[in-house]
Amino acid sequence: MSTSPPAASGDRDPAKTRRQRKTRRRVTGALVLMMGLLSAGFLASALTPTPQVATADTDSAALIREGKQLYDTSCVTCHGVNLQGVQDRGPSLIGVGEAAVYFQVSSGRMPAMRNEAQVLRKPPKFDDKQIDALGAYVQANGGGPTVILDENGDIAQESLRGDDIARGSELFRLNCASCHNFTGQGGALSSGKFAPDLGPANEQEIYTAMVTGPQNMPKFSDRQLTIEEKSDIIAYVKSAQDTKAAGGWGLAGFGPGTEMVAVWIVGIAAVVGATLWIGARS
Amino acid sequence: MSDGDSGRKDDDNVDGKKADGVNPEKKYSDEELAALSRDELVQLGTNLDGVDVAFRRNRWAVEGTRAEKRAERSVAIWFAIAGLSAVAFIGVYLFWPWQYAGIGDENYHLYSLYTPLIGGTMGLAILAVGVGAVQFTKKFIPEEVSIQDRHDGSSSETDRKTLVAELGDSLETSTIGRRKVIKRSLMLGGGALGVMAVLPLGGLIKNPWAKGEDSPLWVSGWTPRYDGETIYLRRDTGRPEDVVLVRPEDLDAGAMETVFPFREADRESEHDLLVSLRGIRNAVMLIRLRPDDASTVVKRKGQESYNYGDYYAYSKICTHLGCPTSLYEQQTNRILCPCHQSQFDALEYARPIFGPAARALPQLPITVNEEGYLVARADFHEALGPAFWERRPERDS
Repeated sequence: MSTSPPAASGDRDPAKTRRQRKTRRRVTGALVLMMGLLSAGFLASALTPTPQVATADTDSAALIREGKQLYDTSCVTCHGVNLQGVQDRGPSLIGVGEAAVYFQVSSGRMPAMRNEAQVLRKPPKFDDKQIDALGAYVQANGGGPTVILDENGDIAQESLRGDDIARGSELFRLNCASCHNFTGQGGALSSGKFAPDLGPANEQEIYTAMVTGPQNMPKFSDRQLTIEEKSDIIAYVKSAQDTKAAGGWGLAGFGPGTEMVAVWIVGIAAVVGATLWIGARS
Repeated sequence: MSDGDSGRKDDDNVDGKKADGVNPEKKYSDEELAALSRDELVQLGTNLDGVDVAFRRNRWAVEGTRAEKRAERSVAIWFAIAGLSAVAFIGVYLFWPWQYAGIGDENYHLYSLYTPLIGGTMGLAILAVGVGAVQFTKKFIPEEVSIQDRHDGSSSETDRKTLVAELGDSLETSTIGRRKVIKRSLMLGGGALGVMAVLPLGGLIKNPWAKGEDSPLWVSGWTPRYDGETIYLRRDTGRPEDVVLVRPEDLDAGAMETVFPFREADRESEHDLLVSLRGIRNAVMLIRLRPDDASTVVKRKGQESYNYGDYYAYSKICTHLGCPTSLYEQQTNRILCPCHQSQFDALEYARPIFGPAARALPQLPITVNEEGYLVARADFHEALGPAFWERRPERDS
């Protein structure tokens, strides 16, 4: 402020004028700053995409606390105190999000007993409330994809089934069928791993599996397969399970493999048996 | 042969009457033949064929017993089942709701039973006729043991000599040997007929090099027509009319997407666009490695710049027999082929590490253009698909 130009008129007190100018500058500076901050705030809120689910409500603090307690008793051994993972035990949970927690815990895969080629589905150890709490804790500390909720706040299930089953079937064959089989019966991978049967998985589990890529499954982000496309896929998986086999008995829907075994074992045995019966003396 | 008393050689026939007196060596006059009973004629015929009935017994010596009636009923019931099943088949075929009905449609339950009912009734009808016939044979046709004489070793010298003489005589007396016109026309007819039968198979044999540098062994359905032609990657959204391009931010780390490159110029032709989307050699796997894995990648010599950051694009067509190798294991970074269990290492230029495939999956050079879309910089350097051993002659980078 020392470089301010000399006063224009001599009949005013130069010190007073300087003070007035200083105040004016300060006020305008403050106003500009306020405007800048406000517009930045508006801009930020306008540009930030609205989250799919309500996060961090006032009562979610209690939920996160409960989640932390559960985490510290059941998960911390393998995933570490700060979700950072433990070498040779469990991966980091930073960025896996609530969606991964829902998939892994509701399908009973987590907590896992030990490290093997594949962690198997088993009856879940936690109830829905606890899964919610664990998810909130992991989401609050690591972030990542979230589960989809219905309008009433429940985990979306039936509402995740899309309308276009035919398109879902096409997308399923392109993206999923190579591992999970054409009707979602699952199939073999390398070294003892396998892609599981989709029969026991509910709609939300199928969705969260696609988003988070559990175990060796690749991730399918919502930008790669939109939520609408995922819903169509889910609709197809469910419809393939509910549809009755056209021939009466689909032999587990596993395709030519089981059909060949059936023809050879059952069919050939029947023919040999009939031949023996025709030829037998009575 | 449990019952030796009631069945003695040549003694009894079905009716228990004697049928001696016939002699296969004897020459029977017409009157003598007329005098023979039916049983004697049967025996004579059998004996003339060199067959000797060693044992024959009627299953029901006493007619009209309850056991016999029961046996009769048990056969009849199978034929009745066959008849009823056939009638049921006709009824189902004519009147059952056969039009397709999906889940939730009114007729879905009935429709889902259509095929099983058609198959079940038809199968049961055929099976029941068979079972009835076998049952009838087992319960009512007389038990019999017959012995037929067979000679040892080869035929007698007389038989062989006479047969050769007969064949030679046939050929000679047919006069074909000296009828040259017939012989030649037959050769023409027969030969042309043979060519006609084989010719359609010739259509299956194609010269893969007929198109030279554009041979289908070298190119894919979207090979650039000139250097630097824009080749976008598009995703299949299940709606062929959508052209959705791929941006690098679309995939999460540890993701794999099947993308279909296409020439920008083909946008003008719906057909060309569909060819690039559905052509058998065109599918490409776009893989985004996790950053930890990406730092351990071993690149192929001469293809060090084929990737874009963590993005690697490999042909989806297996180099063993051309199946789609899209089983990508995100943790182990292996790409599996479901047909014959070949495995490729995505961290090492998709080199085969297990199974019958011998060549690495061809890698597609990709980059991001100024619009922010992933594009192919050029075509594959290697030939696509199965069992092919050459690399492309130097004509592009």
